[in-house]
Amino acid sequence: MANEPLPPFSSSVRLKYVKLGYQYLVNHILTFILIPIIVGISIELARVGPDEILSLVRFLNDLDLIYVMSTLFLVIIVGTVYFMSRPRPVYLVDYACFRPKPNFRVPFSTFLEHARLVPQFDERTVRFQVKILERSGLGEETCLPPANHYIPPTCSMAAARAEAELVIFSAIDELLNKTGMRPKNIDILIVNCSLFSPTPSLSAMIVNKYKLRSNILSFNLSGMGCSAGLISIDLARDLLQAHGNSNALVVSTEIITPNYYLGKERAMLLPNCLFRMGAAAVLLSNCRRERSRAKYRLTHVVRTHKGADDAAYRCVFQEQDSEGITGINLSKDLMAIAGDALKSNITTMGPLVLPASEQLLFLFSLIARKVFKAKWKPYIPDFRLAFEHFCIHAGGRAVIDELQKNLQLSDQHVEASRMALHRFGNTSSSSLWYELNYIESKGRMKKGDRVWMIGFGSGFKCNSAVWKCLKTIKTPVDGPWSTSIHRYPVDIPAVVKVL
Amino acid sequence: MDVLTTVTIIFLLYSLYLLYKSYKLKCSTNCYLVDYVCFKPSPDRQITTRKCGEIIERNKKLGLAEYKFLLKVIVNSGIGERTYGPRNIIEGREESPTLDDAIEEMDEFLNVCIHDLFVKTKISPRDVDVLVVNISTFCPFPSLASRIVHRYNMRDDVKTYNLSSMGCSATLVAIDVVKNIFKSGKKSIAVVITSESISPNWYSGNDKSMMLGNCLFRCGGSAMLLTNDPAMQAQAKMRLKCLVRTHIGANDDAFNSAVQKEDDRGRVGVHLSKDLPKAAMRAFTENLKRLLPKILPYREIALIAFHIVKQKLVQPDAKLNKVVAQINFKSGVDHFCLHTGGTAVIDAVRRALRLSEYDVEPARMTLHRWGNTSASSIWYVLGYMEAKKRLKKKDRVLMISFGSGFKCNSCLWEVSRDLGDGDVWEDCIKEYPPKTLVNPYLDKYGWVHEETEETFNREERTEAFKNSPW
Repeated sequence: MANEPLPPFSSSVRLKYVKLGYQYLVNHILTFILIPIIVGISIELARVGPDEILSLVRFLNDLDLIYVMSTLFLVIIVGTVYFMSRPRPVYLVDYACFRPKPNFRVPFSTFLEHARLVPQFDERTVRFQVKILERSGLGEETCLPPANHYIPPTCSMAAARAEAELVIFSAIDELLNKTGMRPKNIDILIVNCSLFSPTPSLSAMIVNKYKLRSNILSFNLSGMGCSAGLISIDLARDLLQAHGNSNALVVSTEIITPNYYLGKERAMLLPNCLFRMGAAAVLLSNCRRERSRAKYRLTHVVRTHKGADDAAYRCVFQEQDSEGITGINLSKDLMAIAGDALKSNITTMGPLVLPASEQLLFLFSLIARKVFKAKWKPYIPDFRLAFEHFCIHAGGRAVIDELQKNLQLSDQHVEASRMALHRFGNTSSSSLWYELNYIESKGRMKKGDRVWMIGFGSGFKCNSAVWKCLKTIKTPVDGPWSTSIHRYPVDIPAVVKVL
Repeated sequence: MDVLTTVTIIFLLYSLYLLYKSYKLKCSTNCYLVDYVCFKPSPDRQITTRKCGEIIERNKKLGLAEYKFLLKVIVNSGIGERTYGPRNIIEGREESPTLDDAIEEMDEFLNVCIHDLFVKTKISPRDVDVLVVNISTFCPFPSLASRIVHRYNMRDDVKTYNLSSMGCSATLVAIDVVKNIFKSGKKSIAVVITSESISPNWYSGNDKSMMLGNCLFRCGGSAMLLTNDPAMQAQAKMRLKCLVRTHIGANDDAFNSAVQKEDDRGRVGVHLSKDLPKAAMRAFTENLKRLLPKILPYREIALIAFHIVKQKLVQPDAKLNKVVAQINFKSGVDHFCLHTGGTAVIDAVRRALRLSEYDVEPARMTLHRWGNTSASSIWYVLGYMEAKKRLKKKDRVLMISFGSGFKCNSCLWEVSRDLGDGDVWEDCIKEYPPKTLVNPYLDKYGWVHEETEETFNREERTEAFKNSPW
């Protein structure tokens, strides 16, 4: 990954993102005004004394029945209207990740051997790829699909479909087993897979395999990068607000088969080294009866799109190299752009999640700097007070390192991301779910904990979602980490010598 | 007592305020179509039947049978002489499309159409809150949605969605996304972009079931601007009344009726099976079952219910064909926007709904003038109706489209005011409907039927073809 460090967040804070976050708060301003009025009235009542209150009660008994009834009626109407117009809660009932079998493993030695045998790679290209792998933070158990185990890799459409069927169906099978959900009860289906979109779509493939209903609302998102999982969650949330008593199945994956780069352009070889096989299936619901067994509730989703900026738009770009071979070009500015996008995202997220103390401190510091022109350093709120767990997209080791430094997170906070990168590689949009499963498998997820998921994607997008845990997750957890959690965390050296 | 009165008054005022807020929210859940723009490619991209013949000729893998088949398809397709194709195919590079060719094809559409939409509606790109793009068969990275955000410098909290491979009915899926986002009540402006990418999808083999796509699809696209803001109601053209989506992918035959795969030589193409018309009809029937109760007037629904009950009492085991035959679809719909999948599709829908030639004229003329532009075709059909000044206030327009998977999506719009904007049909609407839709080369290609494998000498024929007066 690029070597430039992220610019420190304290260098500037854009006012407009703060405004965005505060706007959400201001919408409820009238409710906030009501509180001091109620407090005032209670103080007045307390001051007045118990005798007066008794005389009040007696007064009420003398009132016309009609007056009392109409007031009660009004209370009930307003209460009902109020509760009906509130946004529906979105519960995460459960989720399942694809568990790759050991025969798909690509240890460093296999990677090196295969790279040497592929006729399109010369020695220089092989050495470069291995050098990246050594410093990548990936372990020896990451998996590639069957097509990539051939020499040279067989990147046919049939093989890509086979991989899609393998990863998606096993994740969904596991999810349906875990939750006991019948396929006929699924009302919404959203699938996101960036680099493979056959006709008919992957969502149609799922409808066909599980015989879903004919009035299902299915959507197939493509090309939206590693943050597409959270985009699908956002879409599911909007759909669940519009349709009551519904279940939504969200499937996030990335199909590796058709995207192996067989050229010589260095910036395009990076995805070969980092991307690995993975998929996740998530069941969301807004049914009241699912509340009792749901694991999490979705509280916020914030999306930031930096596409208007040239450098941000070009930083992860699919193009053809000088020989006409298609690959994904990762620019050297990736870190800086990721940092900028994250900064915008967390500035909007801040007012929604930070405790009042941090917000006030931040506000004072902002006012002092902008209005009174005081030469103070901008106050960066402590996000560790807002969240217990962090799931940062395991895009690469450098990204996790820099984010840890800038958000001032401890090693334990980023452990889930590092270990998921080590065990499963960069599984793109599904990586966040592998990380969440790590935290659960370690027995760290307690009721009331808040989880912050951050995903980055091409475009350049930074999306984040906040979940609140509804029940303590007991170990052992049956998931992709079942066979390996006892070996983690591991110490990942800066360089693992292969050559 | 004072305290009690004060509390009651404050409470009453607050409750009234909450009720008012809920009412306002309810009013902002309608989906208005402010305007739409269809794409007209530049004149140097026009493809005549003769040009199509030349392009097919270039494929040396074709034998006589395939050549005959393709020419037959082209002359019977109902497609006219002024449709548009992508540059790389016209220039002879159809067998080796590059990523740049595909992007260039999309750029020509995105740069022109969306700009025109913003100019027409007088909305700035910075005001757009939601962007939904559906371009089925081309999915670059970053997505075309990101490309548009970059090109038009949109805000960074814009919600983008890039739908892909959802077939020719995907435009209504995109409208569905927008409709659901609008239901939250928050005032937003949404832009929906629909197109199809032809350049990277040329089938270079000789499997007959995969060659139809080469003959029928043409370049086109459309951009729509929608909003749920009641303040823009006066400016809006139509209001969405209902949208029904049907997906019969659970049925294996339907699912496999249109599949992109490799032929036995490893060349990728979209295989269209013989079950496609049957799957389409099934999906259409399923869709109508859910659509009709929403669009027909109560009187008609009561009448149908009465007939069904009567038939069940008299002949409990008989099928409901007679009842279906008595449904008057036109009681709930004034205009029909049919997906221009081909003359067969238009004829099938016409028979099923018992429509007149006048009703399907917009679809036929669109097929003739623009070809099958996939998902965006229904917007060209709408454009024809508007150019012909058929759309009056309170008219109801039904859009029906089909797509791979197999899906059938339909929606009903209510026209808000008398419409008469010609848009892309402006320059040619006076020529429509033409005296005949028969392909001028129908009899010219008759010689193909006299040839046999032995006598068929392609080089000779190509020379003769090139030197002919037409």
